[in-house]
Amino acid sequence: MDGHGAGIELRDLTKIFRKDWREVVAVESLTFRVEPEEFVCMLGPSGCGKTTVLRMVAGLERPTRGSVFIDQKEVNSPSPEVGMVFQEFALFPWRTVRKNIAFGLEIKKVPPEKISLLTSEYVQLVGLEGFEDAHPKELSGGMKQRVGIARALANDPRVLLMDEPFGSIDAQTRNLMQRELLRIWESARKTVLFVTHSVDEAVFLADRIVVLTARPAKVREVIDVPIPRPRDRTSPEFIGIRVKVLEELQEEFEKTGVLERQAVAKAGSG
Amino acid sequence: MKLLRRLFFSASSIAIFLIIWHILAWLDNQSRPVVIVYPLDVFENLFNSFLEPDFRGFLIQEEIYSSLKRLFFGFVLALAIALPLGLLMGYSSIAMSSTKPIVEILRPIPPLAWVPVFLALFGNSFGPVMIVFIGIFFPVLLGVIFGVRNVPPELVDASKTLGARPMKIFSKVIFPSTVPYLMNGIYIGLGVGWMCIVAAEMLGVIGGGLGYRLIESATTGRYDSMYACIIMLGILGFLTTELARISSIKVREWMGMGQE
Repeated sequence: MDGHGAGIELRDLTKIFRKDWREVVAVESLTFRVEPEEFVCMLGPSGCGKTTVLRMVAGLERPTRGSVFIDQKEVNSPSPEVGMVFQEFALFPWRTVRKNIAFGLEIKKVPPEKISLLTSEYVQLVGLEGFEDAHPKELSGGMKQRVGIARALANDPRVLLMDEPFGSIDAQTRNLMQRELLRIWESARKTVLFVTHSVDEAVFLADRIVVLTARPAKVREVIDVPIPRPRDRTSPEFIGIRVKVLEELQEEFEKTGVLERQAVAKAGSG
Repeated sequence: MKLLRRLFFSASSIAIFLIIWHILAWLDNQSRPVVIVYPLDVFENLFNSFLEPDFRGFLIQEEIYSSLKRLFFGFVLALAIALPLGLLMGYSSIAMSSTKPIVEILRPIPPLAWVPVFLALFGNSFGPVMIVFIGIFFPVLLGVIFGVRNVPPELVDASKTLGARPMKIFSKVIFPSTVPYLMNGIYIGLGVGWMCIVAAEMLGVIGGGLGYRLIESATTGRYDSMYACIIMLGILGFLTTELARISSIKVREWMGMGQE
């Protein structure tokens, strides 16, 4: 693991989707920075365009306007420098755990002996010893996401993007996975941009939290979380920041609520 | 216990079928001409045809070999063309829109309609192979196209973020996730292939075959031999499609893509 974290810069990032004859602004003039090896959470109401932002950073989607820079280099297409972990895991079902983790290394044409060495190392890092030859369908949600994380990290990216990676995992496993992720992040020293809609998750994980507005996504507020890790969810500092973030979000939630009510009313009258 | 019950019901349904057959044969035997032969006579004929050459001097295993050979060559040829074409059509919208009209016009034509055309075009030895080819070709082609169109987009995205370029995306993501659909196409195609081979052999073939033996037996009034051929066709058709079905399930399991 020698590819140390790179800085991410979003500059005036805008995405407009065309749907029939209407234009939907999903992301509007989003500007913020993530420092090298920093852990930043993007937090916003559901459906506010967080995933679209992440896909643009990954190079999977082209911005309508503005750009993303990773270490001052503009992102034009996906690259192995930028790893991604998906909410629905996106594991290759026909590949075993070991072969899933090896995918990026095979693409890079790493020699087979080195691949088997590296995959064993990452299997160990995410705690999946004994499951090397299992197929994804034999694993629980939490284990699947461990494979997803190992697969992204094995490629030694400089930036790790995570799109609600624990969103479809049950609450208990989720807390465990959050602690595991911090342990892995501390040893791997990658820059992490993590999307979530859980305030608790964001305060537990992040160095800084970028709170987004309801659609279109804009930066509403950036909140520092200066609590040393491991964090205690019941400590006064933790609760203090939680309340602060919640207040910011609450207004946005209300706004979406109003928008939804308006949409329903419109649909009802029309 | 469950297996025993299932076996009991299967055995009794076969027994009932044979009894009804026997009764119908008995009724038919009351007057001339006799068309329905007693099941026992048919099975005796089937057994003997493995040991004694028929009136043309052929053992039934020679005919089976001829038919299976045609099926095999037709199958290999169909796979060799349908697989790459299907991958291309599913992947590239240019390939799709330029070939789709032709495929859509040719596809609904019953494969048997090609029998006279292909016999005239390719002769009586290669023509039947081509008819099997056309029968297997379309199910496989459509299976592969459907498979490529159904590749989960998040898998393609994941491979891109892991550094895969179009060629690698194709070989490492799109092709493997198409395999179960391909196997399903083969399973359906083999069933159609059997229908085609028999029809082609009945209409004219060089080198024998079960369909040829069937029609020769019928036109010379050897009905026991005719029914023996029909039963043999049933058994072989069942075995080949069953083989395709089981290997399709095995491949899915082996690839970790079985039913959740």
